[in-house]
Amino acid sequence: MILTHGESRRDSPFFFNPKTPFILIHPMKTKFKNNVVAKISLTVKPDRMSLFSPLLGQGFTLKSRTGTSVRDLLCHQIGVSDDYLDQRIQTIFLDGKVVDDVDTAVIHQGSSLALSAAMPGLAGAVLRRGGAYAAMRSQISHKNNTADDSVENGTVMLKLFNLVALELGPLLLKQGIWITGKNLGNFFQRVPDFFWDGCLTVEIDGISQDIRKMPLMGWKQEQVFLKLKLENE
Amino acid sequence: MDKILRINMGDENGPKASEEPLGDYAGLGGRGMTSAIISKEVAPLCHPLGKGNKLVIAPGLLSGSHAAQSGRASVGCKSPLTGGIKEANVGGQGAQVLARLGYAAIVLEGKPNDDTLYKVVINKDNVEIAPDNSLKMMGNYDLVDRIKEEYGNKVACISIGQAGEMKMAAASIAFTDMEQRPTRHAGRGGVGAVMGAKGVKVIILDDTGMPTRSPKDPEKFKAANKEFVQGLKKHPITGEGLPSFGTNILTNVINEAGALPTHNFKTGRFGGAGNISGETQSEIMKSRGGMLAHGCHKGCVIRCSGIYNDKDGNFLTKRPEYETVWAHGGNCGIDDMDAISELDRMDDDFGLDTIEMGATIGVAMEAGLAQFGDAKAAIKMLKEIGEGTPLGRILGSGAAVTGKVFGVERVPVVKGQALPAYDPRSVQGMGVTYATSTMGADHTAGYAVTANVLNVGGSVDPLKPEGQVELSRNLQIATAAIDATGMCLFIAFAILDQPETFNALVDMISAFTGQSLTADDVTELGKTILSFERDFNSRAGFTAKDDRLPDFFKTEALPPHNVIFEVKDEDLDRVYNW
Repeated sequence: MILTHGESRRDSPFFFNPKTPFILIHPMKTKFKNNVVAKISLTVKPDRMSLFSPLLGQGFTLKSRTGTSVRDLLCHQIGVSDDYLDQRIQTIFLDGKVVDDVDTAVIHQGSSLALSAAMPGLAGAVLRRGGAYAAMRSQISHKNNTADDSVENGTVMLKLFNLVALELGPLLLKQGIWITGKNLGNFFQRVPDFFWDGCLTVEIDGISQDIRKMPLMGWKQEQVFLKLKLENE
Repeated sequence: MDKILRINMGDENGPKASEEPLGDYAGLGGRGMTSAIISKEVAPLCHPLGKGNKLVIAPGLLSGSHAAQSGRASVGCKSPLTGGIKEANVGGQGAQVLARLGYAAIVLEGKPNDDTLYKVVINKDNVEIAPDNSLKMMGNYDLVDRIKEEYGNKVACISIGQAGEMKMAAASIAFTDMEQRPTRHAGRGGVGAVMGAKGVKVIILDDTGMPTRSPKDPEKFKAANKEFVQGLKKHPITGEGLPSFGTNILTNVINEAGALPTHNFKTGRFGGAGNISGETQSEIMKSRGGMLAHGCHKGCVIRCSGIYNDKDGNFLTKRPEYETVWAHGGNCGIDDMDAISELDRMDDDFGLDTIEMGATIGVAMEAGLAQFGDAKAAIKMLKEIGEGTPLGRILGSGAAVTGKVFGVERVPVVKGQALPAYDPRSVQGMGVTYATSTMGADHTAGYAVTANVLNVGGSVDPLKPEGQVELSRNLQIATAAIDATGMCLFIAFAILDQPETFNALVDMISAFTGQSLTADDVTELGKTILSFERDFNSRAGFTAKDDRLPDFFKTEALPPHNVIFEVKDEDLDRVYNW
């Protein structure tokens, strides 16, 4: 099933498997080398949600089992539905290499996984997973390997682009994501003025803050746990 | 569309127009028409700016009809940038209006005896060629505003800015869009300089009183067109991705692939990509009251363009495309969307190819004329081109000339034309097309991903790397054929993925022309066009050594994947063996 433009089924089983909980994005269970962290919670109007897409494209960290396949991470740990992965996520990069087979490409500790819908242009066709023009980028194709026995807990950097960010982003943002303070500061400094009118409340580590001061804060934290709440939810 | 309009700008009694039947050119459109005329009628060794060169403007075979996506035109000549044959493809209203006026091509020939500047006005009754030196050195935006005052808001304009008048090798030809803005450009190869050499500032097309072109089988055509449109709308790329993010949807993805040429092709990743991505661009446009999904011509249902407003909410430019964002962005180290959009507006106004300009400024930055990332310096350089200062004249001649003048080794050109926005070291198959295209480095030359659907040249195992040459060949053949139809190349994805959409396209063309089309016909048309072009280039002095990427692609490893271009020369030489 491919959704048509404007169709709003972002919480439907097509996107996420409701039977798989988001157990791996819990802030209290995540440890980083530098424990200088902050928890920031924003309440925004629903139409401001898409403004976070660029932030999702820069990457956020998940605690996950590593040593497993891309499909295992996305479908069995995060809860993305198999249909969504197979039909919608047409372009995947693991550590910058193009993935053709999500069942054999293995995630390792610290891996970066980027997800995109199908892309236009010859380049888009070339980068598509398992596509007819895969040979044209063989130098940057991910060499498939198999899962080993060393499955362990670790962290993965996830990047969501374009339609995938619009569709998977809201639920993940509502669950909360780990991002670098630098990226969050950059986001606050560059976001259009329009954003602030729709940003209703902000709390840092449980304490209410002045919204307009967000771009002026240093955001030196190695990691920030960002969680969104929608108005009237 | 049964006649050709020839305008001899060098007639002894002043410019003279004449019409003739299609003759040997019957059945050709778009790139098929331009390349046939140039190949047959232009002496390959002539000077591109001399009287021997011709400028051909041809709508596609389906242009002027109700066929969706059929508003592409081809502009052909001997290129002042490459010295070879050129077809520059463009959207906008020009193709539709020209086709409804009944012309399969306009051919500008000869050269005026003095520096008088002319405007050409074409309507259903008349062709008028009038001197108008008051238009001299006007930018495209002011020019079109002037034309609008005089001829109303229904006409379509095909025009040059200051760069074309100064006969710069990077000059483009502007086609007005649905809002009568000069935002669509036949950009590549310096076609604007040839129009400038002919002394023509603007061609004004008025199709008042002319009907839409009728298909041979209206019912079958209507049904096929409907099915075709449905196919485009339901496909995730043409129905969702492109309308939501434009072609700039590619920035994040190409950057992630390590294939985004950055700092004049030094690396494949740009740290500021997120700030100029399609996602960011769309949010900026929305927040300023711009428009996200907008067609460049009537009949476009994909609507990959849009309106980019400035900070005060006023129109600045159309949505800058991916190639423009890359050229003025990552390639120059600039991550400011407003600065890139201003550069795009200036390119359109002066009449310059955005790809060539971004590559040229990147070379200039490499030469030390400015720091990478200095947006103000880039804007200043572009202003110098519009003003025609000595530095501007150099930069307006393109990346190859600029590299020579300033002693830069890393100059990303093939046949004198700048490489577009995909590093061939990461996407090596694209490098094969860059190297061997008859046009010079051109990302659209091998664009038609329908090649495998059409089975052009036989099927290729997609998982075998050695198939790259064959893939590039097949893509170039299919692209040449589609360029002849006037169809936008973005239709390719829906055709690739949805057999019923491909069948609808074939049915639509068959119903329009009254002839049944086969995959073999498409292959043959593509090969014929490429043969015209290859033959012209050969007679112009091009040899196998011109079908090569610059050395640095073979010697400098590209981060982050640290890859070099590995396709062997002998394999490149096999591309045209069919």
